[in-house]
Amino acid sequence: MTVFHLPPTKETPEILIDEENLRFSMSGESYPENAMTFYGPVRNQLATLLTLPGVAAHGLEAHFNLRYFNSSSTKLIRALVGMLQRRAEGGSKIVLQWQHDPEDDMMAEFGEDLRDEFNAIDFHLIEVESA
Amino acid sequence: MSAKELGAFRNHAHASQVLLHYSGEITSSVVATLSDTVRQRLDDSAPDRRIARRVFSAFIEMAQNVLHYAPPAVDGQPYGSLTVAHDAEVFSVLCCNRIRNGQIGRLRERVEAVRKMTLDEIKATYRMQLRNDEGDPEGISKGAGLGFLTLAREASAPIDYRIVPVAGQPDEAEFHLLAII
Repeated sequence: MTVFHLPPTKETPEILIDEENLRFSMSGESYPENAMTFYGPVRNQLATLLTLPGVAAHGLEAHFNLRYFNSSSTKLIRALVGMLQRRAEGGSKIVLQWQHDPEDDMMAEFGEDLRDEFNAIDFHLIEVESA
Repeated sequence: MSAKELGAFRNHAHASQVLLHYSGEITSSVVATLSDTVRQRLDDSAPDRRIARRVFSAFIEMAQNVLHYAPPAVDGQPYGSLTVAHDAEVFSVLCCNRIRNGQIGRLRERVEAVRKMTLDEIKATYRMQLRNDEGDPEGISKGAGLGFLTLAREASAPIDYRIVPVAGQPDEAEFHLLAII
C-alpha cells in the first residue's frame, strides 16, 4: 500500500492519496501556469486509488480544503470530483468534505454547484475559518 | 529618465494610488514574483479577506492571460503591463498587452458578451462553460472562456476594455483591460 504525496507549493495544493486509509485530500492554493501538467499525475493516481478493491468494499473519503484556485484549475478540480461521482454511481460509498472559508462566497458556491451536479456523492459543505 | 522625471513619475503613481505597476517582459517567473508582491500588498491594504482574494484572483487571471495569449515580442517573450491601484473606495486591476489583428473580432465578441451579462447570467454561463467538455474549438482560450467570466464574477462593475491600434505595427493592436473590485 502506498501513499502519493505532493507537498504544497505557493501555486499548487498539497495532495495526499492514501491507499491504505482510502483517502484523498487536497488543500491549499491552485494557480499553476499550466494546470494540466500538475493535475495529470493527480488524476492518474486517483484513478488507481478508485480501482482498489478496498474502495469497492469500504468506500472512500475525500477532503477538499482550497483557499483559491485560478480559472484553468477549475475544470481539472471539477474533473477529479467527476471521477469520484462515477465511482459512487458504481456503488462505492464516497464521502466528500468541501471545506471553505465562511467569507469565501465563490468557494462556497463552487462547492454547492459540485454538490448539486454530482449527487451520487455524500457531499458535505463545511465552513472552516482560515488562519 | 532624469532624476526630475523620476520625481514626476513617482508623484503621478502616488496620486493614482498605484499599489503595483509592472511593464515589460511577462514570463512565468515575473508573474510568480509579482503575484507574491500583490498578495503581500493586499494583506496590508485590503479591508478583508474576501476583497483581497477577489483582487488577487483578477490579477492572476490577467497575468496568466498575457502569459498564455499575448503574441511573443521579437525576443520570444510576451510583453505587457500589469497594474493594481487602490483608490479610497475600490481596487482597480488592469493589464495591457499586444494582440494580433486576427484575434480582435473574437476577443471583442467575448468581452462584449460578458460585459452585457447580469451577475446571474455570468454565473449561469460559468457553470455551462465548466460543464462543456468540448474545450475551445478555436483554440484562443485555454480556460474555455472561464477567464473572462471569472474576472466578471470578481468585479463589482462590468469589466472594461479598449483595443488601440499600434503605430508602425499594422498587424497588431494593444488590448487594455480593467476590472474594478
